[in-house]
Amino acid sequence: MFKKFCLEEISSQNQVKASVQRRIRQSIHDEYPGLETVVEDLLPKKSPLIVVKCPNHLTLVVVNSVPLFFCIRDGPYMPTLRLLHQYPNIMKRFQVDRGAIKFVLSGANIMCPGLTSPGGVLDEEVEAERPVAIYAEGKQHALAIGFTKMSAKDIKSINKGIGVDTMHYLNDGLWKMERLD
Amino acid sequence: MAEKLEPAKVLYCGVCSLPAEYCEFGPDFGRCKPWLIENAPDLYPDLLKEANEKGADKVSDQLQSVGISSGGADGAQSSAQTGGTSKKEEVKRLPGGKLKKKERQEVIIEKVVRNKRKCITIVKGLELFGIKLSDASKKLGKKFATGASVVKGPTEKEQIDVQGDIIYDIVEFITDTWPDVPERSIFFIEDGKKVQAG
Ligand SMILES: [Zn+2]
Repeated sequence: MFKKFCLEEISSQNQVKASVQRRIRQSIHDEYPGLETVVEDLLPKKSPLIVVKCPNHLTLVVVNSVPLFFCIRDGPYMPTLRLLHQYPNIMKRFQVDRGAIKFVLSGANIMCPGLTSPGGVLDEEVEAERPVAIYAEGKQHALAIGFTKMSAKDIKSINKGIGVDTMHYLNDGLWKMERLD
Repeated sequence: MAEKLEPAKVLYCGVCSLPAEYCEFGPDFGRCKPWLIENAPDLYPDLLKEANEKGADKVSDQLQSVGISSGGADGAQSSAQTGGTSKKEEVKRLPGGKLKKKERQEVIIEKVVRNKRKCITIVKGLELFGIKLSDASKKLGKKFATGASVVKGPTEKEQIDVQGDIIYDIVEFITDTWPDVPERSIFFIEDGKKVQAG
């Protein structure tokens, strides 16, 4: 998604109506209940919430010039990796084996065997079409944010093809856009 | 109400911006190495070993040349002896020498590019010359008409971040403003390597 993403791609950048801001806050709050105690700090009611529209139906939520969440079409909001690194427990997690790291970091989607091999870990509760944090064997921090194409159970039993679409990964365009000013 | 969630601290690489543990998969691991040796030696214990071995190789190269020249003057036997003893000394001194290097009075200047066009010049080590950082930061901001602030670097040491690329004028400014800082103690970090400014 963010492989070649840069400022030039932004088609509009708006401070949205109070009602829309409220809706965004609410859906982030619902999607990530773990953020409850800090959501007011992250998305302070005083600072305007900027919604940045980009091509490919991509929306960024920006506060004080820092991109915090993104979503595709009407999909769920997903945190940027820097935000996830600060609050690692807000998302369900998968882990890829060490061999998959370099592919994920080049933007490839995540193949089932990378998650089912001895170095991989699946959270069996994760359903299809859900946001999930991607960790790696032997590493502490997440390297990507993904969106499941199959449930964890199917990934395990089918064990073929793409299990998770890689949405955002370390050093992609969104990662490089640490601030937006 | 539940206790407030504390944001986790993550060590990001000062060179490639990734979490330091991912440098090995980053765009240019070689460039990250000097930074990692300084700031994250625990993550890559092999790097330190590698660096020490390289250093040891250099020393033994030097010794060889010393041995040859002294051999010309005093004869082969004595040269072999002196060569042998001095080699022992040098090798022993090396780890100590490394440590000493860290405490040496130096000002390190580094340019970091953010968001492609924005860039920050980082100045480290002025405090080793008895300069107050808050004072220095104000002077730098004023001189270059830009924002300057004292911030904690990745190793919790304080440094001055100056907005913009002032790398070309900063050496002169430092030596003019604080004559106690000799030009030979000022270094740039270029492509991950330390280069003397003078
Ligand atoms: Zn690095």
